[in-house]
Amino acid sequence: MIQDPLKTQFKVKGVVVITTAMLTFITAWQAASIVLCDFASSAFYAGGIAMRAFGPAFPWYILGVMLFAGLLMMMYIESCSMFTRGGVFPVVNAGLGENAAKAAAAAILFDFTLTGPISGLSAGHYLAGLINSILKAVYLPFEVPQDICAVVFALGVTLYFWYQNVKGIEDSSDKSRKIIRFSMVICLILFVWAGITLLLKDKIVLPPFKPQLNDTSLGWASNFTLMQKIGFLGVLVALGHSVLALSGLETFAQVFREIEYPKIQNLKKAALIVFLFALLFTGGLTFLSALIIPPDLIASEYHDNLLAGLAMHLAGPNFLKLIMQGAVVLAGVAMLAGAVNTSIIGANGIMNRVAETGILTDWFRKIHKKHGTTYHIINMICLMQVGVILLSGGKLYLIGQAYAFGVLWSFVLEMTSLVILRFKNREQKRDFMMPFNIKFDHYYIPIGGAFVVLAVVSLAVVNLFTKKVATISGISFAALLFLVFHISQRLNAKKANDIFEEGHREKLNQSKVEDLAKALQDIPEGKRILVPVKNPENLYHLEEVLKNITNDDTEIIVLYAKPVDAWSVGKTRQATSIDEEELFTKVILIAEKYGLSVHPLLVNCNDYSYAVAQVALAAKVKEIIMGVSGSFGANDQLERLVMAWGAVQQGQDSAEKTSITAKIVWEGREVSYKF
Amino acid sequence: MTDISDIKLKLETDNILLIKENITKKELVKKLVGCICEKNPSLNSEEMLGAVLKREEGISTTLESALSIPHARVEDLNTFLAAMAVMAKPIEDDYGLPIKVMFLFFSPAGQPYFAQHLKMLAHLAEKFTPEFVQELTTCATPQEIAKKINL
Repeated sequence: MIQDPLKTQFKVKGVVVITTAMLTFITAWQAASIVLCDFASSAFYAGGIAMRAFGPAFPWYILGVMLFAGLLMMMYIESCSMFTRGGVFPVVNAGLGENAAKAAAAAILFDFTLTGPISGLSAGHYLAGLINSILKAVYLPFEVPQDICAVVFALGVTLYFWYQNVKGIEDSSDKSRKIIRFSMVICLILFVWAGITLLLKDKIVLPPFKPQLNDTSLGWASNFTLMQKIGFLGVLVALGHSVLALSGLETFAQVFREIEYPKIQNLKKAALIVFLFALLFTGGLTFLSALIIPPDLIASEYHDNLLAGLAMHLAGPNFLKLIMQGAVVLAGVAMLAGAVNTSIIGANGIMNRVAETGILTDWFRKIHKKHGTTYHIINMICLMQVGVILLSGGKLYLIGQAYAFGVLWSFVLEMTSLVILRFKNREQKRDFMMPFNIKFDHYYIPIGGAFVVLAVVSLAVVNLFTKKVATISGISFAALLFLVFHISQRLNAKKANDIFEEGHREKLNQSKVEDLAKALQDIPEGKRILVPVKNPENLYHLEEVLKNITNDDTEIIVLYAKPVDAWSVGKTRQATSIDEEELFTKVILIAEKYGLSVHPLLVNCNDYSYAVAQVALAAKVKEIIMGVSGSFGANDQLERLVMAWGAVQQGQDSAEKTSITAKIVWEGREVSYKF
Repeated sequence: MTDISDIKLKLETDNILLIKENITKKELVKKLVGCICEKNPSLNSEEMLGAVLKREEGISTTLESALSIPHARVEDLNTFLAAMAVMAKPIEDDYGLPIKVMFLFFSPAGQPYFAQHLKMLAHLAEKFTPEFVQELTTCATPQEIAKKINL
């Protein structure tokens, strides 16, 4: 006779909460803020660096680059509509193959490694400029050394955001939103005040359009007299020196994965916010600076803090201008610090995409026990950024010279891939297409896309000859990183092969908790839906739930009731044990696809339906939505569930009992019952 | 407790058995099906037994409380028909779980009755707590059991 209590007691035997960094979703505004913190922060340094490179014509070219960013973002939206975990690596991998993808990732990582330091140092320069302005205003006869101040500040900010990123993106994305909101206010004040200043001027002189190129800005091209004779090439050279204003745009694709439902609509909204803000902030304020500050002063005093210079040259009393400079510096410091953060987020995103294909060993993807972040990658990125800050000695122009190799060549590979994919993956679903297409047969020939490719290829090739520092350092860094990827891939060959055969596995943290109450305590109140999952190939019901959510306060608990072989009841005893890593990876990918958070939970049990009923009761869910079993009919499943529900209700106070609907959902059909 | 006042259930006292001898689950199911079919000649006991056993091949109908609820949905029926057995010694179900009480019923097969069918299962699962099942095993007569279960 059976007396083993393990077999006859159906209470869940162990509760495990699954955590991962991949299940927090952000609004369009938050996404735009993350991108803008990096992308628009270039307003604080791009103009000054461009001025030093090719003279007073710089605002036209910065403006041109900002307009071009709009086209690039449209290309990004198309890529995101094809790849939820978008960005350079998956797109180039699909379009041009793995080696090109590794090269593109290595190239863009070079620029992310520079974006953090350039932003941190720029913030330091603005701060030092303000301190010196104050010291001068109160007639104190000394100045803080700008470069040292910049290095110290950049190091502090990098370390701060290193810690924030190890803690998780949710905290940092909220900070970005606050920074951008504050910067918008400052931008508006600056615009109005600069407008009044211009009206008070006797004469407004527009900056010249022709760039003044010298041996430094022409680089190796100074040896080719033919190149110098072609006027259009001068425009390309100037644009090439202004490309650093695009710094951080790749983050746009990286944040897509985090954007909440409805994803593409929210991405379009974010794109519009980013485009308009960056156009006004970077393009507009740089232009106003050139109209208000004399060019020689920009070159001599304000090349490292252009917008502070704008504040100091507005019409009005000095103390008000000093306050405005303070506000600009505050916004600049916050935004540039945000850019440091975004550069870490962006680089982390790219490294994760590379790691997911098995190119990087498990060491890189190790998840932080408490915060669920890929902290080894974050540590590595921050360490490289600290190295760049120290090596630069605070010289902003030096990093500016090195910048743009990575961003341009990654654009070349990514945009080319997108054009190729129009033919290669013709049937792949796209919720958005870059405009200007000609439909021929079953193909949409990407005229707009081809124009973007042509433009980035031209800029990249010209820059290869003109920006010597960028070419040498970019190629060296990218080659080194490519080598790291290659060696790591060789070391990880078996794993990579498994990943190729079985698909990518998400790294998950599994924390055992005492009981169900403890596991459920952090799930917000609201309409809770329990979605039991068993088979990674049968998650149709989860997709249906996510597709049909209309209520913001719906919380979805995804439960895997894991049968423990030794004492499982029923046919599950013979069933092959499901790999929970594979199961939850699929769950996470589906949640990401729809941009909706889920709460994954694993319980050990000897009766699946009892476990579902116990969790449903403990979580006070309104609905249980199950997939149809491959072994039993939907009616049998529902019968067992109502029996289990009845059993777990034993001893419950009737006042505590609430109604609950159970549904078994499969393609085109469902069976439901309201308890 | 799940309300089943809207369900027409027929469980006659002479369909309640006290089982003292050694018996297998299949034999017990056959006995209970026989009890119901004897009083409802329109039901073919072979067919009914086949339907119940087929359902038993699916997800288990035995609960933690040692209550087993074999059942089948039957065409042309408009009442729930039931029989039950209380074991002096627990028997084993197909998965090695103990059964102390077996409550076997037939329900009407039409779709409108499915909700009632589920309600009946939920009600039985809730009502037959381990303590209640244990209590039933101490009953000396079917009448005493009928009085206790009060369905």
